[in-house]
Amino acid sequence: MYASKKYWMIAWILVLPALLIRIFTTIYPIIETFHISLFEVKLLQGIRKFVGLDNYLQLFHDSKMITSIRFTAIFVVGSMIGHIVLGIILALILNMKFRGQKALRTIVLLPWAMPMVVIAMASKWAFNNEYGLINDFIRRFAPSFNLDWLIYTNTARSAVIAVDLWKDLPFFAILVLAGLQFISSDMYEAAKIDGAGSIRSFFSITLPLISRNILMLSIFFTMWRITSFDVVYAMTSGGPGESTALIAYRVTTEAFTNLNTGYAASIAVVLFLVMAVLSGLSMSAAKRVDY
Amino acid sequence: MIPKNSRSVPLTLIIWGLAAIVAFLILFPLWWIFISSITPAGELFSKPVKYWPAHPTLDSYRYLIKNVGLLPKIGNTAIIVGLSILIGMIISVMAAFSFARFRTRGLSIAVGFLLASMLIPDVVTARPLYDFLRSVHLYDTYTGLIILYISGILPFTVLILQNYLNDIPVSIEESASIDGCGFFQSMFYVTIPLLRPALATVCIVNFITCLNNFFTPLFYSNGISVLSTAITQLPLRDNMYAVPWDLVSAMGWIIILPIIIFVAIFQRQIMEGIMAGGVKG
Repeated sequence: MYASKKYWMIAWILVLPALLIRIFTTIYPIIETFHISLFEVKLLQGIRKFVGLDNYLQLFHDSKMITSIRFTAIFVVGSMIGHIVLGIILALILNMKFRGQKALRTIVLLPWAMPMVVIAMASKWAFNNEYGLINDFIRRFAPSFNLDWLIYTNTARSAVIAVDLWKDLPFFAILVLAGLQFISSDMYEAAKIDGAGSIRSFFSITLPLISRNILMLSIFFTMWRITSFDVVYAMTSGGPGESTALIAYRVTTEAFTNLNTGYAASIAVVLFLVMAVLSGLSMSAAKRVDY
Repeated sequence: MIPKNSRSVPLTLIIWGLAAIVAFLILFPLWWIFISSITPAGELFSKPVKYWPAHPTLDSYRYLIKNVGLLPKIGNTAIIVGLSILIGMIISVMAAFSFARFRTRGLSIAVGFLLASMLIPDVVTARPLYDFLRSVHLYDTYTGLIILYISGILPFTVLILQNYLNDIPVSIEESASIDGCGFFQSMFYVTIPLLRPALATVCIVNFITCLNNFFTPLFYSNGISVLSTAITQLPLRDNMYAVPWDLVSAMGWIIILPIIIFVAIFQRQIMEGIMAGGVKG
C-alpha cells in the first residue's frame, strides 16, 4: 500500500523532527568532542592550541585519572556481581506465588522510579557516623560500633556501591523476572517426575534458560554503571580525596569546574570508545548466545 | 518454580521472611526521610536516632515554600516535563509510524542511527552541547531544556511504539483507505486509537524518566530550577550544619511522594513498559 513514490516524502517528513533533535543533541556534539580532544583548551587561561594526541598521552600519566579508572572498574565489577547474584535471588522471590506478592512487586519498583540524586543525598546522611541511619542500626547489635563511612577510601567506595545496588538491583530483578516468566511450568513438572529437587532444577533448568537474558542485562547495566555520575556527584563529590571520582564525574569536573575542555574531551572520547566496544560485544553476544 | 501444592508451612514462612526483609530494606529509608522532614532541625541531631519526632512540625516545608521558592520550582518542573512528554510523544508517534509502515534503505539507516544514539553517554556530549546551546541562546531557556528532555526520551519511545505498531496489521489501514480515508485520516482515526495502551504505558515511564532527569537541568540551566536539581542546591541555614538535612529530607519527600503514589496506581503499566524496553532493548 505504501510502496508508491507518493509516500516517500511523507515517510521522511514524519521522521524528520525526531532525527533532527537527535542529530542536534548527539551527532554534532560528539564530533565536536573528537575535534576539541586534539586541542589544549584551558578556558580560564584563555589557551587554545592544537596538540594532536597529547591529551590522550597525558591520560596515562595523570594519577587522578588512574585513580578514577581504577575506582570505575571496582565500582562496575562490585556492583555487577551484586546485581547478578542478589538480582537472581530477588527475581526468584518475586516469581514465587505467595500472599503479598503483588505488593512486593510494587515496592520493588520504587527505587527505580526515584531520582538517584535524592537517594544519594539521603545516603550521605544515612552513612553519617553520629546521626546516620546505618550506624544507628548497627549499634543496636554492636553498641560500640564507630565508623565514619565517607571519610575513608574503602568504606566510602563500599558505601557508593551499596547505594547503587539499593537503587538499581530491584530493577535488575524485575527484568530477570521477565525472563523467568517465559519458562513454562511443564519443564519443572517434568524435572520433578524425573526426581530432580528444586535446587537441581534451578541449576539445570532455570539458570541455563535465563542465562542469555542475564548476559544481555549485565551488558546494559555495565554500560550504565560506566557512565554513572549522579551517585558520586551528590553523595561524595568524588571524595575522600579523589577516591570515588568515577570517570564520568571526572569528565564533568574537568569540563565544567577546571575548564580543561580539551583534556575533558579526550577522556570523553575514551569513554565513548569503551561504550562502542561494549555495545558491539553485546550485539555479537545477542546473535551468538542462544538456548 | 516450586509448585504451589507441595509447599510446606516452614517454606511459606521463609518466603514471607525474605519478602519482609526486601520490603523493609526499601521502605524503611523512605520512612526515615519522611520522619526527618517533620522533625525540628535541632532534634534531628540526637543520639540514638529517633524514629518518631517528639515535636513533629511542618517548618521545613514552610521554609521551602517561603525562602527557597518551592512553588516556582514545581511550576518549572510541571511545564518542562508536561510539554516534553506531550511534544515528545507526538514526534515519537510520527517517527515510529514511518519506521513501522515504510521500508526503504534510508529509513532503516535512520532507525539504526536513532537506536545507536541511545548509547552515547550524556557526559561525552555535555561540554560541546553546553557551548553550542549558549551560542544559539538556548541555554537556560524552557525551549532548550524541553528539546533536551525530548531528546532523552525519544529513542526508547520510538522503539517501543514501533514494536507495538509492527503488531498492528497494515490491512486495517488499507481497509480504511478503501472506505475513503486519506493517509493522515487513517493514521489518526484508525491506527493511533489502537496504539492507546502503548501510548499510556510509554507516557507513564517517560513521566518518571523526565521527572528524574538530573543531568540536563544541572548542566544546561541555571535560572530555571527544577525539583531534581534543587535538592542539591539548598541554602545553608544558620550556619549550624554543613548540610541542611531537614530541608533536604523535606525536598526529598516532596519529590518522592508523588512518585510513590504514581507507582502504586500505575504499577502494571510501568512493569509492562520497562519489560518491553528492557527485554527487547
